[in-house]
Amino acid sequence: MGGVATSENKASLASNIAFRAVPSGIQTRSIPLPIGLFQVLHDHPTFDTSDPDFNAFQLLNLVTNPPLTLSITKPKDISSEISIFVARDSLMVDLEDVQRAIPENGWNLGGVYHMFAIGIGVKSFFVQVVPTIHIRNEFKLDDALERALKDAEPFTGNTRYGTHEDGEAQQFVAWQVGAALRPLYRLPDDANEDDQDDPLANDPRRNGATALYVGGAPKYLWGLAYGSAKGTAGITTGDTLFGSGDPVSIDMAVQMRHSAFFDKKPPGSGFGADVGAVFFHRNYELGVGVNDLGSQIKWKTTVLDHVYSDSTNQFTTTTVGRNVEYTSRVPVAVIVNAARRSGSMTLAADMVASELKTQIHVGVERWLGMWALRGGSYLDQNGRWQFTGGSGVRFGNLGVDVALATHSRNVEEERAAEMCASFTLYP
Amino acid sequence: MRRLFCLGLIAMLPLFAAGCGDRSLILTVDVLSFLDPADVSQSYGPIPGGLSAVTVDVASQEVSLLPGVEDVTDIASASLKIGASFDNTTGSASVHLLIYITSADSADVFSSVPIADVPVSLTPGAVTNVSTEISSDALAQAMVQDKVKIGLRISFDTTGSLSPVQGTETITKLLATVITKKKL
Repeated sequence: MGGVATSENKASLASNIAFRAVPSGIQTRSIPLPIGLFQVLHDHPTFDTSDPDFNAFQLLNLVTNPPLTLSITKPKDISSEISIFVARDSLMVDLEDVQRAIPENGWNLGGVYHMFAIGIGVKSFFVQVVPTIHIRNEFKLDDALERALKDAEPFTGNTRYGTHEDGEAQQFVAWQVGAALRPLYRLPDDANEDDQDDPLANDPRRNGATALYVGGAPKYLWGLAYGSAKGTAGITTGDTLFGSGDPVSIDMAVQMRHSAFFDKKPPGSGFGADVGAVFFHRNYELGVGVNDLGSQIKWKTTVLDHVYSDSTNQFTTTTVGRNVEYTSRVPVAVIVNAARRSGSMTLAADMVASELKTQIHVGVERWLGMWALRGGSYLDQNGRWQFTGGSGVRFGNLGVDVALATHSRNVEEERAAEMCASFTLYP
Repeated sequence: MRRLFCLGLIAMLPLFAAGCGDRSLILTVDVLSFLDPADVSQSYGPIPGGLSAVTVDVASQEVSLLPGVEDVTDIASASLKIGASFDNTTGSASVHLLIYITSADSADVFSSVPIADVPVSLTPGAVTNVSTEISSDALAQAMVQDKVKIGLRISFDTTGSLSPVQGTETITKLLATVITKKKL
């Protein structure tokens, strides 16, 4: 169903804290079948760098896409010569096929990764500890350098070709206390509440109830380590690209900031909160989850400036300050989801807005007897719509599902297609 | 430090190439563009007949190329395309167009072994165009240096000429191509 978050999907439980209070619906357990392993074992890229067929981009694609799924189509391998043309006042670098590996808007990666959660719950209340890592890295080429490398545009005189780096990473443990409650619950007159023969009689997703679930969980953030780097580097060409003197002047300035508990720094300290609500009405579902609302951590940091001087041809590192107070931010993530369940049909959609990307998922599932048909679409992190479709068959408590999906999880960020399969265990 | 920085930039290129299997980094250098325009076309003579070896140094120049290429690549092959035109007005001669490319450390570019030796036969009142391509390990080693010295010399043998040799030479092409493989 295109990976849509709903209150019924266990994988979505962390996306909206109010989901904790919603009774379980049709809980299934999916066991993915690693059908892609056979494909990789049969035809895997070489790891031998001296092998003529060695291709680092193939390996990178393999690492970033563990072969659980069967690749149906994939982008053409990046494979070409690299040509450099040099003349007294001309330089052209033609990366040919490699140009496809240079993204339009730089290299952006990151996210907030909850490693696991340990906790206990009593009725509506819960306590949990969640080790978390937040990473953000944005590396960009400026327009001139991007055109020179991606479009093989000749380098010109008196022009700066620069890069921009802005990255940070922080590790912390969230100590969280919260509650998820149901302040509103009203059943229609004809509802079969507490019907023992109907396992879904108390499921607000399907019993037509008007219900509201809300949750909130403030958290103390215990910071273990923080590091950031922000700066620019570039080369500026002279009047003549290749004269008798140095062809370029070089500049580089980076400010780094770090703090680590294990490096005799005091731990970071801060607060944040997760809040959420989900509303059901006549089998419609509308949820809003906001995670890391106002989450900030105060650190005692060491700040260093690294500057390259072209005139002295040397790097200098200056300690700007020690124990400098700095407040880092854990980016907020907002998840809005909607669903409609009607008999054998489920329609669902969500929107996930986070620091570096906004994703949208829509999906539909229809059961026809023992057969299920599913379809969906999602806007991926590259801003490209992808499509999924599949089918499943259920035999008692066991089901088999097969799906085809497009994606662009590859170095080239080009569309590819894959097939996945799984067993499903039904209650 | 500057060298390290440039090395890092250049090293990115073979690393990109490393992503492409057994692919090459092809470095093409328009050597002619580095010569002073006044050196590209020069008049020679009058050179009296009956002399076996008269040399005219056309150009001698130091130029900066891409730093760091030698450190991150292994050279597979190198070639130099040469083109020249001799508009000879009087006399006849056997001419050798000698091209020198050597490390910038060399004291005198003309004391090295020439990269290319192109024979040309000049006749009175005729324009002679020559075009050839040579391969050379020495050329390959030179073109991946940070800085090189380039020299052009013309050696005239006028022993068979009754009248002085005189005319204009023009270098029309000096294009070096070095094919390297990744070293990293």
